[in-house]
Amino acid sequence: MEKQMNMENRTRSATPAIAITNLTKRFDDFTAVDNINISVPPGSFLVLVGPSGCGKSTLLRMLAGLEPPTEGEIAFNGKVVSSGRSGVTTNPASRDAGLVFQSYALWPHKTVEGNIEWPLKVAGWSRDDRARRIDEVLKFLDIERLRNHYPAEISGGQQQRVAIARTIGPRPGVLLLDEPLSNLDAKLRVDMRSELMRIHRATKATSVYVTHDQVEAMTMATHVAVLRDGRVEQFGPPDELLRTPQTTFVATFLGTPAGNPIPATREGGAFMFGKTEMVSADLAPGHEKVQLLYRAQDITVGAREGRPVVKATYAESAPIAGQSMVTCMIGDLRLTVMVDGFYRAEPGAEIELCFLRDPDAVFNTDGQRIS
Amino acid sequence: MATLASRAPWMARVVQSRDIVPLIMLAFTTLLVIAPLLMILFATLTPDGMAAWQAITNSPLSRNLWWRPLGNTMILGAGTAIGCLLLGGFLAWLVVLTDVPARRFLAIMSILPFMIPSFAAALAWSTLFRNDRLGGQAGYFASNGIPIPDWLAWGIVPTLIVLIAHYYSLAYTMIAASLSSVSGDLVESAEMAGAKRGRILFGIVLPIVTPALISGGMLTFAGAVSNFAAPALLGAPVRMQTLSTRIYGMVQTGNIERGYVLALLLMLMAAALLYFSDRFVSGRRAFVTVTGKGARTKRFALGRWRWPLFIFATLIGVITTIIPVIVLFASSMAPRPGVLFSNWTLHFWIGPAGTSIAEGQAGIFRNPHLIDAVFTTIRLGLTVAGCAMLVGLLIAYTIVRYKASPYTRILSQLSFVPLFIPSIAMAAAYIAMYGTSLGPLPALYGTFALIVMAATANLMPYAVQSARGVLGQISADIEESARMTGAGAVRRMAQIVFPLAMRGIMAGGILVFIKIVRDLSLVVLLFSASTPLLSMIAFNYASLGFMQFANAITLVILVICLIASGLVHILQNKVQGWKSK
Repeated sequence: MEKQMNMENRTRSATPAIAITNLTKRFDDFTAVDNINISVPPGSFLVLVGPSGCGKSTLLRMLAGLEPPTEGEIAFNGKVVSSGRSGVTTNPASRDAGLVFQSYALWPHKTVEGNIEWPLKVAGWSRDDRARRIDEVLKFLDIERLRNHYPAEISGGQQQRVAIARTIGPRPGVLLLDEPLSNLDAKLRVDMRSELMRIHRATKATSVYVTHDQVEAMTMATHVAVLRDGRVEQFGPPDELLRTPQTTFVATFLGTPAGNPIPATREGGAFMFGKTEMVSADLAPGHEKVQLLYRAQDITVGAREGRPVVKATYAESAPIAGQSMVTCMIGDLRLTVMVDGFYRAEPGAEIELCFLRDPDAVFNTDGQRIS
Repeated sequence: MATLASRAPWMARVVQSRDIVPLIMLAFTTLLVIAPLLMILFATLTPDGMAAWQAITNSPLSRNLWWRPLGNTMILGAGTAIGCLLLGGFLAWLVVLTDVPARRFLAIMSILPFMIPSFAAALAWSTLFRNDRLGGQAGYFASNGIPIPDWLAWGIVPTLIVLIAHYYSLAYTMIAASLSSVSGDLVESAEMAGAKRGRILFGIVLPIVTPALISGGMLTFAGAVSNFAAPALLGAPVRMQTLSTRIYGMVQTGNIERGYVLALLLMLMAAALLYFSDRFVSGRRAFVTVTGKGARTKRFALGRWRWPLFIFATLIGVITTIIPVIVLFASSMAPRPGVLFSNWTLHFWIGPAGTSIAEGQAGIFRNPHLIDAVFTTIRLGLTVAGCAMLVGLLIAYTIVRYKASPYTRILSQLSFVPLFIPSIAMAAAYIAMYGTSLGPLPALYGTFALIVMAATANLMPYAVQSARGVLGQISADIEESARMTGAGAVRRMAQIVFPLAMRGIMAGGILVFIKIVRDLSLVVLLFSASTPLLSMIAFNYASLGFMQFANAITLVILVICLIASGLVHILQNKVQGWKSK
């Protein structure tokens, strides 16, 4: 209660719900999380996304208080909960955070009700309060009839709901979710995605969600942090990341389909890809070699008058909402392009790609955005 | 906690350091296992000790003290290992990989012999095959006019048979576990490649179970080498000595340094053997892991051999388990071994003292000393099971949760050292360490506490192993999710880890209980008048020729073990209703 009062007394914009400053975690000589700075306002839905091994789970475990940071700080609502300097972390419970585990981590010897009740018991809730809260969350997650079942007796999707119910039971101010949908089948995953967003709206808890699935990131987040090799590659609202990616990694990791960076070299007044003149070199003055980012919808199959055309090898195509997403290869370079209607060719056949518009962005050879 | 941190950050570092817990456990294990070994070594470096080394390794006595016992020990070890692999391997193949009838029944029959103490089998053998060479009552066969040659009544042959009958179930368990990890897919893919049955067995199945065969062979070898009861009952009376009986004899006759030297040599031998087998096996371990989780196995059709093989397997079980128990039972009722099945009397159980039978001795249930021993034995079993499982859980928990610490690796290796130490040598080491007062510690020789400590150290590998298995099933997530609620370490242990581990802890506990209740080789040196134990009393009766008393007490031990197993089984089903539902 006191915590809530505090929160309301502060001005919302002044104190971020979660502030991560210079956070670093090293295991022996391996740096899992490298100098990360992120902060989000109360009620945000922060998604940490990146390929496996990028440090996103370690970051989440530090937020949960399960790992102490090597350097840097984490503050919830202005209160430091983990600090690398003192080497001490506030214990997981007193930081007002709840964690949903990837494996659900339900206690197999307790019933669904028992699983939800135990954290409340530990937190010292009275019997009546517990009973009321259990009914509430069971109803909220639509699992009332599972009340007396053991975890081994219910399906994966149901276990997921129990895990969420157990975590939101004590009303944590920060809700942490570690790849919660990765063990569900495709259909259930989509259902659960909207369910999680409903829960987020209802609880208003600031949420941190770890995933390697960029679709989840783009659909659910208010803020996205793309992580790579322990560093934040880019941090911002999802549409901003999609519209103005700061690196080629972000551009190729996000979006369905992802963007196509194409290496080009200055020759005279133009950037050339192989023998094809792509675009005027005025786009990036002073750069000899660049990478041009083309969206899939900006490339198509079949030559058009006055636009650059290159030859490619057809690999595969997948129909999507009346269009075809065509994957093809130019040497080692893989490109994804869009064609209207249903398109298919013999794998290995030579096709012509046409670049309909100028590149969306220009990156240097290190993958950093120039313009 | 945050305030504590700001006040004394270094203290927080120490408390949160991942080395502190492993270090504490390491110190504890060292005290329990390594210190006695060092003490026994130092004891042999005194002038008396050096003389003992001289006498044993390089003197006219060394042939009798060392070389002949060593030879007998090696023959018994190798013979037992080969016999156990043949019997155990055959049964495992039959149960796991074929369509033999009543497979569950055969599986249970095959693990039963390990429940029966090896001295029970030795006593049963003696009851049947004893001849008149040493005087006293002859056995069943000799009394009924079937002459038993000396080689069948005494010495290396009966000892070997008894040891194989006792240890083959160990080989069976290991080989069967390994065979059931050979998934049907592997066999079927070999079939698809066109391989015939024999080719599949030798080309696919056998290489995969080779590590299990080697470990099985080595463990049964080590078991036979350190076994005391069988050679002491069947060999020692005709001067067939093994290293175990020699150590016992030396300590008994006051040549304690010679006993220490022999114990050290026995340990070295066992350690070298197990070390090399482990090296040999670890290079091949990859075979075991690729098969992944226990999949469905493919069974070969035996055709017309189904029933003959079933009968043969059943016979093995009957001869090694049922018949010895029947013989012990009948013998405990029969006035003379020659007439096992008539004139039964309850005298040896409840008869009064001062009659003409059994030289005037009362039946075992009228013997206050024996009633005392029943309780002491049960108390010892419970105490050791409790201590060993507690120590095992603590060590296993440290090993599982503090993987990152370099000390954890040492701890995990150290906890398996007792496996290399034959129990009689372990007992000798405990006498060396705690036999005399040590600084502030009083002399513990002959006390209950000393037996508990030695037994805990001796059985530590089993306890750690079963506790690791239990904890391995409790994922780190499960415990961390409890941590997230803010529950303290004690509460997490009591309400999450312990209930989940309960079933496995009880399984490990009963194993330890049975092993110590029927143990002879460890307690034979540590036992004293103030700590009467059933196995020791049975052994003493047998040495004095009172076979009926010895057999009756052995049956009491068996019954205690069976009741304990039954109770644990019932309890296990009670505490974990959530698993069977």
